[in-house]
Amino acid sequence: MSASPFPLIPLCQLPAGETGRILRLTGDEGFCQRIREMGCGEAALVTKLSGTTMSLCRVRGMRLALNHRAAIGILVEHLPLAPR
Amino acid sequence: MAAAPRPGSEGADPALPLPAHIAGPPGRRRTPPERMPVYALVGNPNCGKTTLFNALTGLRQKVGNYPGVTVEKKVGETYSQHGHAMRVIDLPGAYSLAARSPDEAVTRDVLLGRRADTPQPDRIICVVDACNLERCLYFVHQILDLGRPVIVVLNMMDLTARAGLEVRPAELEEALGVPVISCAAVQGRGVVELRLAMSRRELPLARHSWTVPAPIAPVVAELQASLVAADGRPPLIARAEALLLLTDQDSVRVAGSTPLSAVTGAVLENWRRRWTGQGTDWSGTLIKARYEVIHGLCREVIRRTGDCGPSLADRADALLVNSGWGWLAFAAVMAVMFYAIFALAEYPMNLIDGVIADLADRVKDAMEPGDLQNLVTSGMIGGMGGVVIFLPQILILFLFVGLLESTGYMARAAALMDRPMSRVGLHGKSFIPLLGSYACAIPGIMATRTIENAKDRLVTILVAPLMSCSARLPVYLLMIATLLPGDAVPAATKAGLMFLMYALGTAGAFGFAWLFKRTFLRGDPPLMILELPPYQPPHFGEILRQMLERAWLFLKNAGTIILAISIVLWFLSTYPKHPDPAASPEVQIAHSFAGEAGRALEPLIQPLGFDWRIGIGLVTSFAAREVFVSSMGVIFGVEGAEGDTAPLRDALRAAQWPDGAPLFTPLVCLALMVYYVFAMQCMSTVAVVKRETNSWRWPLFQLAYLTGTAWVVTFLVYQSGRLLGF
Repeated sequence: MSASPFPLIPLCQLPAGETGRILRLTGDEGFCQRIREMGCGEAALVTKLSGTTMSLCRVRGMRLALNHRAAIGILVEHLPLAPR
Repeated sequence: MAAAPRPGSEGADPALPLPAHIAGPPGRRRTPPERMPVYALVGNPNCGKTTLFNALTGLRQKVGNYPGVTVEKKVGETYSQHGHAMRVIDLPGAYSLAARSPDEAVTRDVLLGRRADTPQPDRIICVVDACNLERCLYFVHQILDLGRPVIVVLNMMDLTARAGLEVRPAELEEALGVPVISCAAVQGRGVVELRLAMSRRELPLARHSWTVPAPIAPVVAELQASLVAADGRPPLIARAEALLLLTDQDSVRVAGSTPLSAVTGAVLENWRRRWTGQGTDWSGTLIKARYEVIHGLCREVIRRTGDCGPSLADRADALLVNSGWGWLAFAAVMAVMFYAIFALAEYPMNLIDGVIADLADRVKDAMEPGDLQNLVTSGMIGGMGGVVIFLPQILILFLFVGLLESTGYMARAAALMDRPMSRVGLHGKSFIPLLGSYACAIPGIMATRTIENAKDRLVTILVAPLMSCSARLPVYLLMIATLLPGDAVPAATKAGLMFLMYALGTAGAFGFAWLFKRTFLRGDPPLMILELPPYQPPHFGEILRQMLERAWLFLKNAGTIILAISIVLWFLSTYPKHPDPAASPEVQIAHSFAGEAGRALEPLIQPLGFDWRIGIGLVTSFAAREVFVSSMGVIFGVEGAEGDTAPLRDALRAAQWPDGAPLFTPLVCLALMVYYVFAMQCMSTVAVVKRETNSWRWPLFQLAYLTGTAWVVTFLVYQSGRLLGF
C-alpha cells in the first residue's frame, strides 16, 4: 500500500471533473487482470467525467463506462491539482 | 533481469530454433513462396479492422461504431501490387491474447495456430486506433512476441487533431522496427500504402524487445521449454503461451481447446504455489512491465496539441448516460422509431399492395379458372405478397438500428441500461445483443460472444428471442390492422400498441433473466467496463448497404422458404377434394389435409381463442414467424370468394367460427400478438442456439420454456379478457 498524502477513495466517489491515480485494484482477479490490460492498472491517471452509479471516466485517452460494482473496486488517490 | 529474445534475430535463443517453415535470413522473414500468404487483421475492438478488411477485399462485412461487431473470423482475398492473391482473415477485436470471451478466444486460437480449420497467419496486420495508441499498443506488444512479421496500421489518423494529439508514424516505425502505415480506413486513405506494404516479399522483424521482470523470467523459460518438449508447441508460440499462462491466472481458459500436458501443468502449479506463498502478483507485474515499455514508446511518438478538459462528447455522455435526460432521450428515440414505422411506410406499402393486386388480376385474367390458377394467385402471389408488403416497415426498423450503431449511441444505451439490467443479474453489455435482437435474434445471439462470463452469456442467449425481431413485425402489423382498421385510427395509437408488444417482450426477457440468475444460472452480480466509442456522424452509405442487404435477405426468404411453404400449404388446403364439386370454400378447406391437421390441433389452442385455421398458421410459422401472414393469405384466400385480391385484413375481419361469431375479435388479435411475443417460432434461432451453446440441451429447454410461456400468458390474456366482457 502506498503512503499517499492524498485520500484513497473508490473511483465511484471521485468527484466529476477531478483526476485520481489508481493505486489498488480489488475484487475479482479476472476483472482486475482485464482492466489492467485495458490500461487501467496501478499508477494510471483517471479523470472522472460524471456519474456515481455509472462512472464515466477517461484513462489513457479512452472513455470508459464502469458500473458501480466495478468502480467501487478501483481505489484511487484523489489528485485535486493534477493536470488533466 | 532476463531480456526476451528477439524472434528470428541473432539474439534468439539457439536452443529454441525457429520452426523451419518460417525461418529466414536473420531479421527478415519471407513468406513461403509455394502458397498464398495468409494475413490476419487484428486489433482492439472498434478500431476499424472490418472497414479495412472491406476496403482490401471488396467484401461487405458489417461494420458499426461500437465494440463487438465482429464476433467470428471472416476470410477474404486481396491482390498484391504484382497481382498475386493474398488471403486476409478479419479476426474479432481483442484487448489481449489472454482471451476472456468466446470472440477473443477465436482471435487467440487463430494467432497461436490452434484452429484446425484456419492456417496460422504468415503475417499479422495490427490495426490500432491512433487516438487510443497507448492502450492499443498493449495488444500489439503481445503480438510482436509471436515472432511473425507485423505491419502496424495507425487507423483513425483523421481524428487525432480533434482529440488534441499529434501522432508520429515515422517515430513509431523507428521504435518498433516494423512498417507503420497511417490510415483513415473510413475515407479509404492509407489502403494503397497498406497494400504496398503487404506486397513486400520480405518484411523486417520487430526490433521490439522488452525485459521480462526478473522474478518471472525463470518461469517463462521453464514453461516455454516444457511447452516445447511436452506439449509440442513451436518455440515462439510456446514463449507467447508461457507469458499468457502467467498473465491470465486461469490456465484452463488460456489452454482453451489445447489442454496443457501434466508436465507443464505441474511446472505452472509449482511456481504458483511458490509465488502465492511469497505474495507475488505475477499477472499484475507482467502487465505493468509491458505498459512501462509502451508508456516510454508513447512519450516519443505522441505529442499533445490540445486541451484535455471535458469535451463536447464528455458533456453529451454525462447527459445521455448519467441523468434523467438519458432516459428521456432513449424513450424519444424509441417513440420516433415506432411512429416512423407506421407513418413513413404507408405510401410504399400502398404501392406494393397495388402492384401485387395488379399482378394477381393479370394472372387471373390470363389463366383458365382451375387449380393451377388458384395455386398461382392464392398460393404463390397471395402467400408471398402478404409478406413482401411489410418490406418498407422492416427497412425503417433497420434504418434506425443502423443510425444507433453508426453514431455511437448504441454503447451509451448499453451503459444507460446497465442499472435496470443489473437488477435482474445482467449487465449493460448484454443489452447490445438484446437490442440487436430487435432486428434479428440470430446476430443478437452471436453478439453474446463478447460477454466474458459464461453464465451471463447463456442467460442472454436464453432470453434474446423474447426481444421482438423484425420477423414478428408483419404479424403485429397484420393484427393491428385487423384490430384497428382504416385511417380513422391515428398512427400514434397503432404505434403505441406495437410499442406495447415490444415492451412486453423486453419485460419478459428481463423477468426470465431474473429468474434464471436466481436459480440454475446463479452468479455474482456482474462487473461492467465498457469502452465508449467516439460520436460520429451517421455513415449513410454503410447504413444503406445494410438496409439493402436485409431487404435482399427478406425477399430471398420470401422467394424461397415462404414461397415453398405457401405452395405446400396451398396443396394441403386444396386436397383431397371434397366429393361435392359445388362445396363452399369453407367446406373444402375443412375437408382438406390442412383442415384435418388443424382440427386435431384445435383442442390445444381453443382455450387461447384460436381456431384450427390459426393453428395451421402457428405450425407453419415455426419455420419463420412471418410465414404466419402468408399462411393466413393462403388459407383465407382459399376460403373467400374474392380472397386472392382482397386485403388480407378484410378477410380476417370477415372470418367466423362455425356458430357465426367473429373469429378475429380485438381480444383474439391481441392474444395472437401476445402469443408471438413469447413463442420461439424460428427454426434458425434454434439452430444458432445449438451452435453457440454446443449442445441440444439449451435450445430444447429454450423452445419448451418459451412455447409454454406463450401458451400460459396467451391463455391468461384471452380468458381474462372474456371474463371482463371483451
